[in-house]
Amino acid sequence: MKSEFAVEFQDVVKLFPTPEGGQVNAVDHISIEINQGEFFSLLGPSGCGKTTSLRLMAGFEWPTSGDVLIDGEKMGRKPPYQRPVNTVFQNYALFQHMTVFQNVAFGLEMDKVPNDEITRRVNEALEMVKLPGMGRRKPKQLSGGQQQRIALARALVKRPEVLLLDEPLGALDLKLRKEMQLELKALQEQVGITFIYVTHDQEEALTMSNRIAVMSRGKALQIGSSIEIYERPNCKFVADFIGETNFLSGTVKAIEKERVVVALSTPEQEIKGIGIGELRIGQSVAVSIRPEKVHLADDDGSEVVSQGFPENQLKGRIIVTAYIGSDTRIVVELGPGVRMKVWEQNAISTLDPEAYYSVGDIVRIFIPYDNTLVLPEDTV
Amino acid sequence: MSEKKPSLWLRIYSIIIYGFIYTPIFILIIFSFNTQKLNTHWEGFTLHWYQVLFHDAQILLATRNTLMIAVISTLVATIIGTMAALAMYRYRFPLYNASETVMYIPIVIPEVVMGISLLVFFVMINFTLGLSTITLSHIAFSIPFVALVVRARLHGYDKAIDEAAMDLGANELTTFWRVTLPTIMPGVLAGAMLALTLSLDDYVITYFTAGPGSTTLPLRVYSMVKTAVTPEINALSTLWVLIIFILLVFGQIAQRRKT
Amino acid sequence: MIPGQVIEEPKRKFSIMRLFRENSRAQGLLLISPTNIYLFILIVLPLILVTILSFLSRGTYGQVEFKFNLSNYVRLFDPLYAKVLVFSLLVGFGTTVICILVGYPLAYFIARAPARQRSLLLFLILLPFWTNFIIRIFAWMIILRSGGLLDSLLQWLHITQAPLNLLYSPTAVMIGMVYEFLPFMVLPLYTSLEKIENSLLEAAADLGAPPWKAFLRVTLPLSIPGMIAGTILTFIPAMGMFVVPDILGGAKTILIGNVIRNQFLTARDWPFGAAASMVLMLMTMVLTLYYTRKAGFGEELLV
Repeated sequence: MKSEFAVEFQDVVKLFPTPEGGQVNAVDHISIEINQGEFFSLLGPSGCGKTTSLRLMAGFEWPTSGDVLIDGEKMGRKPPYQRPVNTVFQNYALFQHMTVFQNVAFGLEMDKVPNDEITRRVNEALEMVKLPGMGRRKPKQLSGGQQQRIALARALVKRPEVLLLDEPLGALDLKLRKEMQLELKALQEQVGITFIYVTHDQEEALTMSNRIAVMSRGKALQIGSSIEIYERPNCKFVADFIGETNFLSGTVKAIEKERVVVALSTPEQEIKGIGIGELRIGQSVAVSIRPEKVHLADDDGSEVVSQGFPENQLKGRIIVTAYIGSDTRIVVELGPGVRMKVWEQNAISTLDPEAYYSVGDIVRIFIPYDNTLVLPEDTV
Repeated sequence: MSEKKPSLWLRIYSIIIYGFIYTPIFILIIFSFNTQKLNTHWEGFTLHWYQVLFHDAQILLATRNTLMIAVISTLVATIIGTMAALAMYRYRFPLYNASETVMYIPIVIPEVVMGISLLVFFVMINFTLGLSTITLSHIAFSIPFVALVVRARLHGYDKAIDEAAMDLGANELTTFWRVTLPTIMPGVLAGAMLALTLSLDDYVITYFTAGPGSTTLPLRVYSMVKTAVTPEINALSTLWVLIIFILLVFGQIAQRRKT
Repeated sequence: MIPGQVIEEPKRKFSIMRLFRENSRAQGLLLISPTNIYLFILIVLPLILVTILSFLSRGTYGQVEFKFNLSNYVRLFDPLYAKVLVFSLLVGFGTTVICILVGYPLAYFIARAPARQRSLLLFLILLPFWTNFIIRIFAWMIILRSGGLLDSLLQWLHITQAPLNLLYSPTAVMIGMVYEFLPFMVLPLYTSLEKIENSLLEAAADLGAPPWKAFLRVTLPLSIPGMIAGTILTFIPAMGMFVVPDILGGAKTILIGNVIRNQFLTARDWPFGAAASMVLMLMTMVLTLYYTRKAGFGEELLV
């Protein structure tokens, strides 16, 4: 281990030619530092550049400009077989004409490891992924989940410095996926290698990662821990992509020491919150309020006041309720065309219908200032 | 398609057609044992014609030539054709469209035209006609067929396994040898089989590119049919059918074994 | 090593290997060049030579005279040769049509057979194909000749009295041609019929179509790619055939292929033969291009 960082991107750009003759920016000036021993996820919708970034690390693509460094060493145009990283592919990419044992042994053969050591390490790897004794079988004979684990074993047996995983759980059914998420996480902690994980499933990323890079259109919008990304998204896209949230549009009215005052368009009232980024007076903003971070109360008929209260208040009429057991999902109409999702935890167990909100009720929504994030509106 | 029982008429029709296809062959075989020379009606059972066949020096020479040409042309065409299929399937390069068009020409062109054009060519460059010209010509028409078959089988090839091999430390050559080739081998073998068949069977192109001394089995059979029609031809045909049949059956068994 | 220190990659020397490894276009070119070179020399060049040859003339002593003229092409319009050209077109056309008519029900039958039987049935159609085709034509010679088997059979059944003299006639040629090309038509037809999903026919029935209507409006149109592929595999070779007419047709039945062959091997008028070849190629290419532009090559059937 030579460098502090397992993988580094230094202002990496990757352009691809389009069929029409132009170019598309798959990776648009990305700089990332990934720590040794970290479980790091690249998260974003399809086409955001996360898979391309992974392939740049693996060596299947070379940057148009910028540098990719692995353990402090610039990779330049080194081909994949000269890099100390290994990949677990989305569709497993197992060699169908070889047995499971031969698959897992392949990488060690390439390293010219002596035969008895190969046998030992392959069996170790199979044990590690909980598939001992499967050596003689052919990949075709295994289930999806088992093939996944063989692909994992095949990569890990080489003890790479960094393991790259390209949406490895995408083809598995839900229950199996959740099981494997926990297994992978435990495996990573056990082995101690840096894992770089590509996914479009934000719940998956939040569950498994130490840090996440949220990507869109070739750019890394925000890099941080799960908590940082969820609680303090730095832009509208990240707030929207991670978890669920409501957006209310408005303009900045005043900037105080710790708070920003926003004049909402609908409903016409003022609201205060935490400002994200550099905001100016008069700027268009989107106010992000997560549905679980508010509470409801019946409307007592008094005026909605924004000054002097420790929380924001909004008023509206319930148009949808959905009881899902642990909480009730409610949609409140604040004004013509403006709705807000609210999740009320069903903290008290009761059958009394009066205890639950129903459609048509007029309610107050209380939002602490810290739960109100003022984000710049998208300029696109 | 649905598997409802086909109507009776369809079944009868099909049996008739199968009969149409096989009757000539059965007649050939039966009459190869006929004592009568003229193939008109049955006289008696004999193996005489087979004896004649085995002592026919010209036939033996022709057989040797045919096999030699077939093996060489299949080998060369399969290698070159597979390379071409890989190129067409995976890469974009200048001259792609032109290459594709040129590859299709031997498939769509009438055999006569190809035959005479090769004749003209060899004569013009003063290349003596003989077994070598035949072989070169066979390679020429086999390459596109091999490329076509292999390319069809490449459809749906998972590029990721090549990347996986390189990721695990194999360079380009090793990846091709240990991963790509074994995976496409069924397609390559199918292409090779086709090339072999085309070569063994070829009459027209061989006819035009053969020299005075060189003869192949199809050429010999043709001249026998046109000149000296004896049941020796029947005997040859029967043996040919038998050998092909055995080979095909073996092929099927080998395929079944694999799965 | 100090943590954080970036190690510069050593200067890499240029090498041919790296050029090919890093440049995928170079790799592609490398793989295709044996084919390109080989086919250029043995296919493209010869065809160019033939084209040029078609515009030249035969001298008195059989050598080629380098005077560009169209006399060969004009000669092809002579009723003698024009008749042959037309006849070749008819034979090619007729063979294709008969193969479609005869082969379609067979392909349909196999496509609807239980899956396990299908490969066996196909195998049975292909099996004769793997024997030499001259042998098979020879078999028809035996059957069709005067006093041969067909005659014997028909006379024995009292259907005819005298020999039919079928051999050495256009009829015999057609029988031979159909026999020869039937597998080429049945296979592509089978492939495209087999691909028709059951659910389509069920949907047609569900929407009120009786079986014959479903066939006409669903099955038949969907089998057209197969028909096209089969046509290409049948029509073009059929037009250029000379073996079948030579063996079964005698002197009376001549196709353009026979003319070409004669010019090159007996009459020794190579320029004229070249011109005839050009015309044959034109006829087949034009039709091929027309078809493939309309509905592709049918390559999807190969998969």
